[in-house]
Amino acid sequence: MTHLTEEQRHGLADGSLESPAAAAHLRECAACSADVDRIRRLMTRVSHSNPAPVEADDLWPSIRARIEGQKVVPLPARGEGAPARPGLHKWVWGIGGVLAAGLIALWVARPRAGTADSTNVAQVGDSGVSLVAVMDSTHAYEQEAQALLNRLELQRATMRPELARIVERDLRAIDVAIAELQGAIRTDPNNPALRRLLASSYRQKVDLLKRVSNAG
Amino acid sequence: MAQANEEDTIDDLVRRAQGGDVGAFEGLYRAHAAAIFALCRRMVRDETEARELVQDVFVRAWERLTSFRGQSVFGTWLHRLAVNVVLERVRVVRRDGARHVTDDDDEALFGAHSDAGDMDIRMDLEAALATLPQGSRTVFVLHDMEGYSHDEIAHMTGIAPGTARAQLWRARRALMKRMAV
Repeated sequence: MTHLTEEQRHGLADGSLESPAAAAHLRECAACSADVDRIRRLMTRVSHSNPAPVEADDLWPSIRARIEGQKVVPLPARGEGAPARPGLHKWVWGIGGVLAAGLIALWVARPRAGTADSTNVAQVGDSGVSLVAVMDSTHAYEQEAQALLNRLELQRATMRPELARIVERDLRAIDVAIAELQGAIRTDPNNPALRRLLASSYRQKVDLLKRVSNAG
Repeated sequence: MAQANEEDTIDDLVRRAQGGDVGAFEGLYRAHAAAIFALCRRMVRDETEARELVQDVFVRAWERLTSFRGQSVFGTWLHRLAVNVVLERVRVVRRDGARHVTDDDDEALFGAHSDAGDMDIRMDLEAALATLPQGSRTVFVLHDMEGYSHDEIAHMTGIAPGTARAQLWRARRALMKRMAV
């Protein structure tokens, strides 16, 4: 009697093989039948195995630290000129770096809890820029950024993977900064400096997307 | 920054995390960490390395989150990303001189200390998995535990589908021996 091949035995055991002839052989051959049953028992034990528990709190702080660390974008070295296409990533980093520096400066200079709101009022009057005008420009930049993002989606397929990764990473850095500014504005909605910085952030995002679009 | 609430669905958390909400991403982490750790732990021998891989997976997921378009379930997307992260690490180890995914030899699979009859205690699945060479373990985990097809495994690992099948059979045989099935 010719026994089943290894492929047939495993195929019958895991259901990947549908062969009436092989199934008929199993009914007649005790050795092959026992072997296929052993494989099935292994697969049953596998299917009943439970994943090992993980200490979620144990890993999250490290993950968060690495994510937060990505928000810091290094400034380009002094003296670097306008890059050609291969150097696109240099000014991409530069934009993110200026944005990060501005955000840090603003965070350091923010009004502390318990201080009077008069400084915010004075800033509105001193700057001469109304909150409404700043909010309007933010909205306009937001819409323009979304339109450019839609165009970027079409470019991704032909973009060099390394460049795509860098662009995505720096867009992420800008978006995180924008999200933090939006959060700060929710707690301090009458702070024009925050709104100017948000508008600036969107402007930088639009500039980045425009350059990527033109380079592609 | 907003924290995840119990009522938040995964879709809500994904949407907020894509907007930069780290608190929402933490919710995604807590929902999927156990499954990702189980995958990493089974794919590599060392628990410390598995923990490092879990961190790498979630950092990579944060970086790539904007590319998730919701065309698949988030857990599926995350799982596939995790497999890629682990396989990248395996390939790095291979370049450094460790075993290739197809270089498992009979001695490693069926050698002197691989028979459960030599030991007083039958190995459980996790312990038996840890004794397999990297290549066999990779294919077995991906196929029999994670449900990937041979074609998918071949695509991810760079080995031929026929080779993946042969690796799977050898892994099953080795596990059956170690677990006294």
